Amino acid sequence: MKKALSFGTLESRIYTIFTVMIFSAIFVMQLVSFRYTIDTVKSTTIDSNRVVLHQLVSQMDSYIQGMEHISQAVTVDDQIQMFLTTSAEDSGKVEMEDTIQFIRQKLQNYIQAREDISDILLIRMDRFILTSSEDVKINPWTAIQDKDWFIDAVEVGNKTIVSSSYVQNLIWGRYSWVVSLSKGILSKEDGILKGILLVDLKFNRIKDLCQSLVIGQKGYNFILDNEGNYVFHPTQQLVYSNIKSEPLEGIMAMIHSGEIQTYQRDERYYMVETSQLTGWHVVSVIYESDIITEWKSLQLIYTLIGLVLFLIVGLATNKISSGITKPVRKLQEIMQTVETGEFRVVGSIKATDEIRELAREYDIMVGRIRELMDANTREQELKRKSDLKALQAQINPHFLYNTLDSIIWMGEMKQNEKVVQMTSALSKLFRISISKGRDLISIRNELEHVKSYLTIQEMRYQDKFRYEMNMDPEILDMTTLKITLQPLVENAIYHGIKEVDHEGLISISGWLEDDVIVLEVRDNGIGMNEAQLALLVEGLERSDVSAVRLNRQGLGVRNVHERIQLYFGKEYGLVCESSPGVGTCISVRFPASSLEVVF
Amino acid sequence: MKRWYLLMSSLMAALALFMALSLFYDSASSEVPAPEGTIEIVLKSIVGQPMDFWDVVDQGIVDAAREFGVNVEVSGPRFEKEINSQIQILDNIIQKNPPLIILAASDYKKLVESVERASLQGIPIITIDSGVDSDIPISFVATNNVDAGVKAGEEMKRLIDEHDRKQIAIVSHIQETATAIERERGVRSALEGENIIGTWFCDVEQDIAYQITLELLKNPDLGGIVALNEVASLGVARAIRESNSKRDVLVVGFDNAVQELSDLEEGIIQATVVQRPYNMGYLSVKAAADYLKGNDIDPLVDTGSVLITKDNMFERQYQELLFPFSGIK
Repeated sequence: MKKALSFGTLESRIYTIFTVMIFSAIFVMQLVSFRYTIDTVKSTTIDSNRVVLHQLVSQMDSYIQGMEHISQAVTVDDQIQMFLTTSAEDSGKVEMEDTIQFIRQKLQNYIQAREDISDILLIRMDRFILTSSEDVKINPWTAIQDKDWFIDAVEVGNKTIVSSSYVQNLIWGRYSWVVSLSKGILSKEDGILKGILLVDLKFNRIKDLCQSLVIGQKGYNFILDNEGNYVFHPTQQLVYSNIKSEPLEGIMAMIHSGEIQTYQRDERYYMVETSQLTGWHVVSVIYESDIITEWKSLQLIYTLIGLVLFLIVGLATNKISSGITKPVRKLQEIMQTVETGEFRVVGSIKATDEIRELAREYDIMVGRIRELMDANTREQELKRKSDLKALQAQINPHFLYNTLDSIIWMGEMKQNEKVVQMTSALSKLFRISISKGRDLISIRNELEHVKSYLTIQEMRYQDKFRYEMNMDPEILDMTTLKITLQPLVENAIYHGIKEVDHEGLISISGWLEDDVIVLEVRDNGIGMNEAQLALLVEGLERSDVSAVRLNRQGLGVRNVHERIQLYFGKEYGLVCESSPGVGTCISVRFPASSLEVVF
Repeated sequence: MKRWYLLMSSLMAALALFMALSLFYDSASSEVPAPEGTIEIVLKSIVGQPMDFWDVVDQGIVDAAREFGVNVEVSGPRFEKEINSQIQILDNIIQKNPPLIILAASDYKKLVESVERASLQGIPIITIDSGVDSDIPISFVATNNVDAGVKAGEEMKRLIDEHDRKQIAIVSHIQETATAIERERGVRSALEGENIIGTWFCDVEQDIAYQITLELLKNPDLGGIVALNEVASLGVARAIRESNSKRDVLVVGFDNAVQELSDLEEGIIQATVVQRPYNMGYLSVKAAADYLKGNDIDPLVDTGSVLITKDNMFERQYQELLFPFSGIK
C-alpha cells in the first residue's frame, strides 16, 4: 500500500514514532548491558586471578619457609657449632675428620629428604667451605666474599637472607639456577658470628610454580625482586634482548602506592602480590583476549537478542498502530457514504471504547437524520395529498350556477318533475363527491357519480348527446379513486361533443386486464389534432411548465392523472388517444383491488 | 506495514547494533584469527644435549607458538651432519603440504632442490640459522655472522694490543660454509692491520682443532687464536690447557658450551661470542605467524650476538642466555 508509507497517515506516524523510539531504547539498553556484561566478566576474571596469584605466592612462601626450618635446625646443631669454632690448624685432627664426616652425612640427609635442595654448604669465617660430600669440589675460580648472599649474611647476622635467582657457580663444573638462603651461624656461647650456612634451592621449583598457575592461553607470571630486577620471567631472553618489555615503571609505581589494583598496559593486565618472606613481587599477566574469549559470541548473542526484540517490538507496534487506525479507517469509509446520500450505519465494531463510542454517536446521528428525512418526505406527501383533495373536492362553480339556473328556469317553466330529477341528481353528485372524506370509493359509486353528472348535463344540453355504459360487472365492487371519471366526461363534453353539430355519444366502459382495471371514456366529438394531443400528453406529465397553457378541463384531466400516480405509482395513470373528426378516448389504468372497502 | 519491511528494518537495526558493539572492543576485534594448519619446522638436529643450541631454539619455538597461537611441529635429523636425512625429512614434509616451513639448512647448496620444490607447491619457506643458496625463502632469521665476527675480532684486537705476542691465528670449523666465511670476514675486518698468520679448518671435529692448536702453539710469537665455532673453541681450549699456555696465548671463541664457560671462568678462553638461539626460534615463528596473517615481514632478521667475558658472564642479563633454564639441573 502506497498510502501506508506516506508520513501523513495516522498509522505510519504512530508506527514510525514508536519504532524509532523503541528501537533506540533497545539499542541503548543493549549497548549498556553488553558493556556491563563485559566489565563483569573482566572483573570476575581479574578477581579469580588474584586468588590464583595469592595461592602462588603462599605456595612459594611456604616452600621457602620449609627450607628455613632446615637452616634453623642446622644453625643450632652442636657438631656444626663445634666444627665452626675450631681453627684451621685443628681441622686436620682425626676426631675433626669424624665430625666433618658426621656433618656431611647430616647435610646429605637433608638434601636427600628434600629433592628440591640443590646443595647445602657451610662456610667458616676463615673461608673454609664444607660441602655436603667429598665429591663436590669448590670452583677454584670463584670468590665467595664477592657474593651478595655472603656479604648480606655477614652483615645481618642471625637472619635468613633470601637471594634473587642466579646461576650458582660455586661448585666445580656445575652451573645451577638457584635461590639461596644464607644465614649467619652465631656461637651459642657468646653470640659471635662463626660461619655462614648456604642452602641452595633449585629454581626449577619456583619456575614450575610460576608456569603452572597461569590464566588463559597467553597469560604468564613473572617475579621481580625489591629493586625491580627480574627474578624470573618466562621469556627472560626476549626481555633482555629488548624484543619484549614489561612496563616495569608502572608496575613498581603500583607496588609502592601500596594499593591493591590492576595495572593495564595495552591489552595486558598486571596484578602484583608481594611475598612478605622474600620481598619478591609476583606479577601475574592476563591478556584481554583471554579474559573475554567469548566476546565475539557474546556480541553475536546480544545482536540476536536485539534482533528478536526488534522483531517483537516491530510486530507489536504494527499491531497497535493498525489496531488504532483500522477502526478509524473503517469509520471513515462508512462516513464517506454520506457523500453519496446513502446513510450507512456502522453497527458493532471491534475497536477501543473511544472509537466504539464515536461509532455509536455517529449511528445515532445517522438515525436522527434518517428520521428527519422520512418525516420531511411524509410531510411533503401529505401536503400534496391535501392539495389534491382540495382540488378534487372542487366542483366547477360555473357548473353549479348553470345547473342551479337550469333548475330555476325549469321551476319557472313548472316542469316540476324535471326540477326534482335534476335536484336529486345534483344532490347525489355532491354526496358521492364528499363520500365522508374518503379517497377510495367503489366503482359502482363512481359510476353513480358520473351518471348524476351526465343526467344534469343531459338535461342542460337537450338532445345534444347521449351516453352509454359498458361495465364489466366484475369490477363494480372494486375500488377506484373518487372523481376519476367525471373530469374525463366533462372534458369529453366540453372539448368533444359541444363542438360538433351531430348528436354526440359518450361511451364509458371498464374492464379488467390481468390485475389492472381499465376505465375508458370515449366520445365521438371533434377530436384533437396531433399538436393538441401532444400538448395534453405533455401537460399530464409535466405539472409545472404547461399549467398556464392548459384550460380548466385540461387541468382536471391532469389532476386525475396525478392523483392516480400519487396513489398507485408511476406506472399507472391516463392514456390518451385522439384523431380530429373521429373523437377522443382517454383511459385510466390502476391496479385492481377488490378491497374490503365496502359501501 | 508490510512484513518484509519490518523484517528488513529489524535486520538493519541488529546489524547496526552488531557494529556498535564492535566499537567497544576495537582492539580485540582487530586481532586476526590464528592461521590454520601446522607450521612445519625442520632443524639441523633434534636429539641434542639439554641446553644444546637446538634445544634452546626449540624452547623459543614453543614459547612463540603459544604466544601467537599457532601450531608447530618440530622435526629434524639426529645429528647436524646427516644432510641426506634432513633432505629426506624435508621432502616428506613437503608432501604434507603445510602452510609454511621453517628450515635450518644443514647444507647451503644441497637443500636448494627441495626448497625449490616446496616453492613450486606454493609453500612459503623461512630459513633460520643457516640459509640456502636461493632467493626463494621469504625470510632469513639468523645471527648476523659478519657482525658476530667483528665482535670477536674487536675483542681480540683489544686483548692483543696489551699483549706482548702479536701474531693471531684463526681456527675455523669448515671451509665453504656460510657461517664460517662470514664470521672470518668479520674477524678479519676488525683485525685490519694486525698480524693474522692464517686460517685453519677443523672440519667440525674437536680433535682436529686440538691438533691444529698444538701445532700452532709451537710458534713462540703466537699471541692469540680466534676460534669460529663451539667445536673449534673447545679443541683450542683443550690444547691450551694441556700445554699450560693460558697466559701466553689468548683465545676468543664462539658459542656457550658448558665446558667453554668453565674455560672462560678459568681464564683459558678470554671471551666468547654467543648467539641467541632462543630468539632465533622465537622470531622465526613470529615471522611465520606474521606472514600467515598477511603482514609484511623482514627478509632478514638479525637475532643478535653478545660478547661474553669472565667479567660479565654472571651478569643478570646474560645468565639465562648462557645457562638456559631448561638445561639446568
